[in-house]
Amino acid sequence: MERLRTCFNTIVIGGAAIIWLVVSAIIAAPFLWLKPTNRDRAVRKFVYIQSRGIVFFMRLASKGLHVEKQDRPSGSCVIVANHASALDLYTISAFGFDNIIYITKGWVFKLPFFHYVMNGAGYVDAEQTSPEEILAVCKHAVEKGCDIMFFPQGSRKDPYARFKSGAFYLAEQLNLPVVPVAITGTQKMLPAGKLAIKPARIVLKTFPAMYPKDYTGELGHLRMAQAAKKQIMDFFDKEKNV
Amino acid sequence: MITREEIIKQTNEALKKEFEFKDEQLVPTASLRDDLCLDSLDAVDMVIVLEQRFGVTLRQGYDLRTIITLNDLYDFIEKLARTHNK
Repeated sequence: MERLRTCFNTIVIGGAAIIWLVVSAIIAAPFLWLKPTNRDRAVRKFVYIQSRGIVFFMRLASKGLHVEKQDRPSGSCVIVANHASALDLYTISAFGFDNIIYITKGWVFKLPFFHYVMNGAGYVDAEQTSPEEILAVCKHAVEKGCDIMFFPQGSRKDPYARFKSGAFYLAEQLNLPVVPVAITGTQKMLPAGKLAIKPARIVLKTFPAMYPKDYTGELGHLRMAQAAKKQIMDFFDKEKNV
Repeated sequence: MITREEIIKQTNEALKKEFEFKDEQLVPTASLRDDLCLDSLDAVDMVIVLEQRFGVTLRQGYDLRTIITLNDLYDFIEKLARTHNK
């Protein structure tokens, strides 16, 4: 039964999700191209709508998709999440964050078609941009009301990989709250390097915001990274065994 | 005076605790950037962690960019510890 469901998920739901991504992009592209002002904001909104669509397909393919969310902080924030699947990118939309600047690895910017969206939305290639430039771009984005999104593990290969402290350093420098997000189940549904979409229980959870003022000292950002990882991975472990 | 073995032991303990490295990663020839994947901010954090651990200042008057491998790091701390004790 599980194999049958995996086949159905991969061929029918996966196919429908790809059609959704392609058709929505074809429809939206001329409007986004011709938009004279705030085009980057419109592209981010488009990414949000596309992502909500993917979350809908994930729900169909899952054994239940649950969202547990806290009230978001007022104003902009830095969002940090664990990362073990290509689906994680889309799950953030389930919390209603619709104006996000992603700080990502460079290879995403090299994907056909995707690079138009990545550049159009004003996302940042962390490998080609200096830390000072990232700080400046994020400061400008925060002034425009954006949230900043990081996957601090930087890779999907090891679900328990260290949280690098760059996101937390940025939060410290810009005095922004950090919202930790736990994504569980996507590593079973679509693990790194696989194409088959397995049915899995998915739970998405935001934790209460963390504030840089509570993590003082020269290594405050490192301590904040360690604390965020601990609460996310504790939840990840708990859910993994459900 | 602190021995080289003690420097290696304490450096590795600090790196394991703060950066979650495993013993097998911490070989003297490991490149900080390519093998241990420490980026520029990690390098700054590592320096602060080691300063606190050894009670020496690593940041002033030295070019940290010359430290490529873990062995270079051990050499650097050993040299500083010697200078500090003179």
